[in-house]
Amino acid sequence: MHIMEGFLPWYWCVFWFVVSIPVIAYGIYKIKKVTDETPESKSLLAVSGAFMFVLSSLKIPSVTGSCSHPTGNGLGATLFGPAVASVLALIVLLFQAILLAHGGLTTLGANVFSMGIVGPFVAWLIYKLLNKTGINSAISIFFAAFLGDLLTYVTTAIQLSLAFPQPSFTSALSVFMGIFAVTQIPLAIAEGLLTVVIWNGLTSYKPYLLEKLKVLNPKENSSSKTES
Amino acid sequence: MSVEIDYIAHNNKFTNIDSKIKSITAISLILIALILSMPIVSIFVLLIAIFLTLFAGIPYKFYLKFLSVPLIFSLITFIFMAFFFGSGDILWNSGISFIVIRIDGLELAINTFLRIVACFSSLGFLALTTPITDILNILSKLRVPKLLLEIAMLMYTTIFLFFSQIEAMKNAQSTRLGYYGFKNSYRSLGVLISNLFFRSLDKSDKLQISLDSRGFSGSFHIYDR
Repeated sequence: MHIMEGFLPWYWCVFWFVVSIPVIAYGIYKIKKVTDETPESKSLLAVSGAFMFVLSSLKIPSVTGSCSHPTGNGLGATLFGPAVASVLALIVLLFQAILLAHGGLTTLGANVFSMGIVGPFVAWLIYKLLNKTGINSAISIFFAAFLGDLLTYVTTAIQLSLAFPQPSFTSALSVFMGIFAVTQIPLAIAEGLLTVVIWNGLTSYKPYLLEKLKVLNPKENSSSKTES
Repeated sequence: MSVEIDYIAHNNKFTNIDSKIKSITAISLILIALILSMPIVSIFVLLIAIFLTLFAGIPYKFYLKFLSVPLIFSLITFIFMAFFFGSGDILWNSGISFIVIRIDGLELAINTFLRIVACFSSLGFLALTTPITDILNILSKLRVPKLLLEIAMLMYTTIFLFFSQIEAMKNAQSTRLGYYGFKNSYRSLGVLISNLFFRSLDKSDKLQISLDSRGFSGSFHIYDR
């Protein structure tokens, strides 16, 4: 998933930085607005960022026998919105590069674009859309996490084939997609399932927290209130 | 792992060297390898990075462990690129229709592999000799928004608390056979993470209280070496 340090030619590094910076700037602007209103939210953001980082260090038991780690992007984006999630993802990716040697500094722009912008945005959009139709929130969070992950891989595949169009962009893309389809779809399903388990924990133990963050649709809010 | 790297970054021969010098060295090594993108240059950069890191007194066992993950990934990438890329003359034919090594594909694979190895060992030099606080300090001098760095700083302190909590919870779960079998491991991991999330919210309240009680005005002052 992470594009390694030095993998992309320098002009693509620059390109992805240029693409990602405006989104991050918008995210920072949004966070600034929130923290100016309620200063307490700064610690909430920091702690949830740390939560995302720690999530990425846990291993998911995966069907293929190999282990992978959850990205936590789907969960982060549905809880805090995509703009905020992208800023948190930037910090998480920076720490991962420096502390765990996952990813890198020059490829930070590309990684932020795939994992911090496309993934969370897709997850958030899908969650919102499915939630509007009134489907059970556990099902919507599964698809949000699953598709968010999947599109992250698709974006990474596109980024890699743009950087190495050998012999042509489309043939490189089909090679990368083929490999990702085999290795990453099971992982995306695994992350989806895990997110559902986490989500069930969240909704059954502390539904009022999710109400405060305004992620449950009104129907489920009322039902959880009557239960408790 | 992360706890260990933090300790090493704070306790090596290069810790007290100006972090500006270290980061400029590491970044320029990365950029040289990246922009020139020639195998000889990459090997040269790799040797400099390894020499500098070991000269700083980083335990070589830990250094190997740190580099092993990206090394394995770059080896996979190398094999993958050697087999699937290129369109030139065939160097070696396995007999199976599309699995062949072509000269230009192999060249690209070797070049990319060496570039990755050179770059991440230079990054490793920075990561192992410079504490995160110093790196954040440099970023603040580069006019990175303060808000971002504050959140990063608060995040960094919280990460280590989480790691110890996870260890305790995981121990408790596995002594009760929580990770026996596939279904159980999923359930346990899910419970662990959702529990961690509640704890993190709780923790953020406490963090805010402790920050307020020490007169936190919205910025961390980090001792500049």
